[in-house]
Formats: sequence, C-alpha cells, structure tokens
Amino acid sequence: MHRILAITFAALALAFASAQTLTVWVWDINKPALESTIDSFQSMHPGVEVIVEDIGNQNAYDRGLAGCAAGGFGMPDVYLVENNEAEVFWAQFPDCFIDLRDLGASELLPLFPAFKWAELTAGEAIHAIPYDSGPTAIFYRRDLYEQAGIDVNAIETWGDFIAAGQAMNAATDGAVKMGTVAKGADDEWFRMLANQADCFYFDDDASQVTVAQSGCVLALETLKDLYDADVLAVGGWVEQIQLIQNSAAASAFFGSWYGGVIQAEAPDQSGMWGVYLTPALESGGVRASNLGGSALAIPASTAHPELAYDFVVNALANEENQLRILFDYGLTPSLLSLLDSPALDQGVEYFGDQAVWSLILGTLGDVPAVAGTAFFQEAREVMIGVVNTYLDGGFASAQAALDQAARQISQATGLPIAD
Amino acid sequence: MTTTPLRPRRPRLRLAPYLFLTPFLAAFAVFWVWPIGYSLFLSFVNTRTRPWRFDPGFNWGRLVNDSAFWDAFGNTMLILALQVPLMLALAVALAMAFDSDLLRLKGFYRFAFFAPLVLGAVPYSAVFRLIFNADFGVLNYGLGALGLPTVRWLFESTPALVTIMIALTWRWTGYNAIILLSGLQSIPRALYEAARIDGASAWQQFWGITLPLLRPVLLFTFVLSTIGTLQLFTEPWLITNTGPGGATETLVTYLYKQGFRSFNFGYASAIAYAVAITAALFSILQIRLVGGRDNG
Repeated sequence: MHRILAITFAALALAFASAQTLTVWVWDINKPALESTIDSFQSMHPGVEVIVEDIGNQNAYDRGLAGCAAGGFGMPDVYLVENNEAEVFWAQFPDCFIDLRDLGASELLPLFPAFKWAELTAGEAIHAIPYDSGPTAIFYRRDLYEQAGIDVNAIETWGDFIAAGQAMNAATDGAVKMGTVAKGADDEWFRMLANQADCFYFDDDASQVTVAQSGCVLALETLKDLYDADVLAVGGWVEQIQLIQNSAAASAFFGSWYGGVIQAEAPDQSGMWGVYLTPALESGGVRASNLGGSALAIPASTAHPELAYDFVVNALANEENQLRILFDYGLTPSLLSLLDSPALDQGVEYFGDQAVWSLILGTLGDVPAVAGTAFFQEAREVMIGVVNTYLDGGFASAQAALDQAARQISQATGLPIAD
Repeated sequence: MTTTPLRPRRPRLRLAPYLFLTPFLAAFAVFWVWPIGYSLFLSFVNTRTRPWRFDPGFNWGRLVNDSAFWDAFGNTMLILALQVPLMLALAVALAMAFDSDLLRLKGFYRFAFFAPLVLGAVPYSAVFRLIFNADFGVLNYGLGALGLPTVRWLFESTPALVTIMIALTWRWTGYNAIILLSGLQSIPRALYEAARIDGASAWQQFWGITLPLLRPVLLFTFVLSTIGTLQLFTEPWLITNTGPGGATETLVTYLYKQGFRSFNFGYASAIAYAVAITAALFSILQIRLVGGRDNG
C-alpha cells in the first residue's frame, strides 16, 4: 500500500514538474480578454497551460513593486502594467523585467504607435509590449437620455453637458446623474480634462512640474462647474458600477476600456448604451483625450521566457485576437494595422448597433501625448487631495489650488515648478 | 598536609543557556534588531531616485515641511483625542454592565461584544463600506426613512473621519470592555458593601471606588489604544481608501504609500521613526499623568 502511494506521489510530482504553466497577472476585463487568446496560443504550444489571474489594478501595481523589490520572487510569467505607472518599474528596478529585444521585440517596433512605446522603453531597452489604449469618450444610456429629452448631437462642449445634466435632474427629480466623479478617491476627471487641454503634472521630458499651467487651470475650473451644477454623482470605482447597475447614472466619462467594464457589469442593459465624443473644453476645442492603457511585460524571474514572449506576441500583435478583444471585451487596440480595418465599422449590439469603435479609434490621432514619469504616484496623491479640497470650496480659485499642488509635487519630487 | 587542587569549573556548561536561546536571538536579530537599525540608517539616505545617496538632512528636512505628513499626523491625533476616550468610556460602561448582578446570559453578551474581533478585517471593512454607501447603504436608507438628511459618508472629509471612528469603536469597544471587566472583578466586593452601609450612592461608589481601583487597567487599555491608533492602517485603507483626498490619511497609510507605492524607503523610514517617537512620548506622558501616583 505504501509503495503504491509513494509511486503515485512520485508520478504526480513528475507531472507537475514537467507540465509547463504560464501565470499572467491582470485586472478586471483583461482576464476574459486575455483568456480568449489562450486557444490560439495553445495551437502553437500544445500542452502549455496558461492561468490568467485577476488580482485587481492597484494590487497588481503593489504586488509587482513588492515582487521586484524581492528580486523577482513570486512574480508571474507575464505581468500587466498600466502605461503611466510603468516608468516607476524601469527606474527603480531596471533588471526586474526582461529586455524584450533579447527575444526579438525590435521587429515589433513599427507595429505600434510611438506614443505607446515612449513609456515602455528605457534608453534602447524594450520592457513591455503595448496592449490597449484609453481614448476617452462618453458612454451614455440612450433610454435615459431620451426620457429627459437630451439630444447627444447637441452636446459639443462641457457647458452643453451641464445643460443636459440639468435637464436630466429636472426630468428625474435628481435621481439620475450624468456621470460619477471619484471625488477625493482619484483625480481621473481632472487628468482626462487636462489631457484635452494638453496639460499634465509634468512637462514632456518630465523635468518640470507643469500642473499650474493654464490648460490644467481650465480643466479644474470645468470640473468645478460640473460638480457645482450637481450633475454628477460621487463615488469610486465600485460605487460607479453600482450606480450604473441601478440606472442611477445615465453616462460615464472614462477611457474607452470602460465600455468593456460596463458590458461585463451590466449585461442586462445590452442595447441601451451608446457612445459620443468627449465634449470640448471650449467651443471648437479638442474632443479627445486619453486615460490609462496598459502593456504586457515579462518578469526576468520567469522560467519560460520564450513561451511567455510567444503568449504576449500572440495576444497583442495578432489582428484576429486584438479584434476579438475589442469587440467582445471593449479594449481598444494599439495595433496600428487595425486602425484602417473595415471591421471597425461593424455595429456593436451592446451599444445599440452603433459603430462605436471607429468613432472612438478615430480620435486617437487627436490625443495629446503624455510622457511617462517615475513620479506619477506622488503627483497623483497630491492632486487627489487638492482637487477634493477645491471642489469643497477650500481654495479661492483653480489657479490657487494648482499653485499649491505644484508646490507640493515639487517638494515631493525635487523637480522645479515651470514658469 | 596535602591539598587537592580545586578542579577548574567547566566553562562549557555556561554555554548551554545561550545555545537554547540562540534560535530566538537569531530570529530577534534578523527580524527586529537589523530592520530597526537599518531603517534608522535609511532615514538618512536619499532614496527618491537611484542611485541612493547618503544625505542626513534630506528626509528629515522634508518631514518637517511636508504638509501631507502633518495632515496625516493631524488626522491621527484627532482620532486619538476623540475616538479613544469615547471608546474607553463606552468600554467602562459596558464592563460594568457585564459585571452587573442584574444581567442574565453574561457569557453570551461577553462573547457578542468580543465577536467583532474574531471577524477578519477585510470582510468587516467590506461590510462597513456597504453600510455607509451613500446611495444604496442601509445607514442612509435608515436616515432617509426617519426624515433625516442623508450623508455621503465616504466622500466628504468629516463624515469619512466619523465613519472611521465609528468602525474603530464597533471593533474595539468589546475587546477593551473584556480587559476592563477583569479589573472590575479584582475590586473587593467588601468595599462596596462598606460604602453602602455608609450611605454612599451608586454614583459616589463609581467615583470613589470603581474608577480609582480600575486605574491601572484603564491605563493599560489607554496605552494599548494609543499605540493602536498611532499604527492605524486597516480601516482607513480598506473602508475609506484614505480618502476623500487624504481626509482619512493616517501616519501609517502615508508611510505605506511612501514606502511601497513610491518606493521611497528612506522617507518611509523617517516617517516610521517619527511614529515610534510619538508613541514613546505618549506612553511616557500617560504613565506619568495617570499611573504615576500608584508607585508613589
């Protein structure tokens, strides 16, 4: 009996040792999206198992940094990194991720836009492969807008959006709001609006603090107008989803990937949603900006670098996989060859058969590029507080709020404030 | 006369106790002494960007001028000044109720009030987030049903801090009450009988007997709660996410962000030492003020 047990254990141990498994850390909608590429990957590498784990966005960052600090201990084989946070890894742990040129990534360079590579390369080294982008748009409930008598074609500026919100408030007695702002929990609205005005925490080579410049002031004033007009509900990530599920939010302003989140979280609202372009800050202004977007990197601690690389390339540089990820999961591809694809003109059932992807991807060229910085988290922490205080009326003006933010960011990062 | 020379005592025997202590001492050195020493060193190193540079005034200078740090310090002190005394007053009342001869099912109540501590911090925080949810939470539903105005608990500064204090009180009052109960039970009953014979009212008995004799245990819970508050992390991290806009940032959540979000270990170490110094000062102060007369 004991012998049989021993043999069984030995066989099991052998099986585990020889079975090749790739572990992938992701968050939210990326799990089913990347899982949908496993079949095509396994047709190249039969017998290799792929486990995609949803560990949450902030947690992925926290555990990634902790893993890199521990010399790669406990890291997965493939790691999803958000573009604007990527620079921290390259700066603090240059050896934590494989330089993908060693695996042939140089030939991928022309396949993706330069602005995506900017945050994923350090010097000559390529640390990650571009995955999705986050061109912003307004996702809206057709039925709720119609009930309130709102015509989306008439919404060209944020001022028009506020007017529409007042109509919504009147029609629903304030029960339905035009969007959800993560007041005090994140500064996403500020960043999206500032990006429209070509303003960011730092300048293009991340050497000066530019958050107090005029574009950012205009963005913050616009946010205050929206908040004061009482057209936005207040809530973080989870609360926004609850509001959508309960039809208490008639629209959402986010990067294009949020369409996939809505589809996954509110499947019963299929056909009720639609998309229109981000309103301009001023009449005739830019109706595009970007929030988020991510990339796949391969930790240097992986036992299977070639397999991991093949998985990444198959998922991200394969048109068929990227089109499916776009249409089934709403993640906007960075693959340039897809931008002219006639497939983008297809209507999407969830969005009332609107051809939302050609609409959203059509804005990519208008998105002002933003440089990466290793100080993203510091600046964001400061801005979350300052935006919150400003919305609560704690500063005399947006300029005063941003001057204060610039001083704090400068103190935390050591970078000078731009004139 | 012959003298037998004294046998030298075998010194090897003396090693034995130290050998027995070695496993502990090794663990203590690796997991306590070294990190404590190394983080003191790190607090004098500029670790903001690579390569790290020794720069003694860098982190401590930033600490003095960092408004975010002082905001976190202020939040922590506010919780310490408001929540801890309130909770301990409640705990004393609760302990006296547990001790009362009038109460039936004592075991059940003692367990029920201790139970919050048995529950894991993560599910408890998730439930509090739901209860305090502005739009669909049961608390606002109840306020609305009573005709009272609803509150955006988690997204406005003062309500968020109040939420944290309520959560802390819910979690720790029973724990402190159980500790205080042990103090109550060590007070000789004869004292109360004597007081009653002398005609002292219940209120006079409380001020004249219960509170003075409870002082050492009360001091113990006070010091524990103070240190716990200075190390407060779980509730602001999981319930309010330190928001809105840092309104519930505490010293330790700020330390964590500096250490593990920004990877600025030097500055995080300086914050850690600031917390430790504050905790030591408070403990000394409390023992001087409240406990000193016991020894005199």
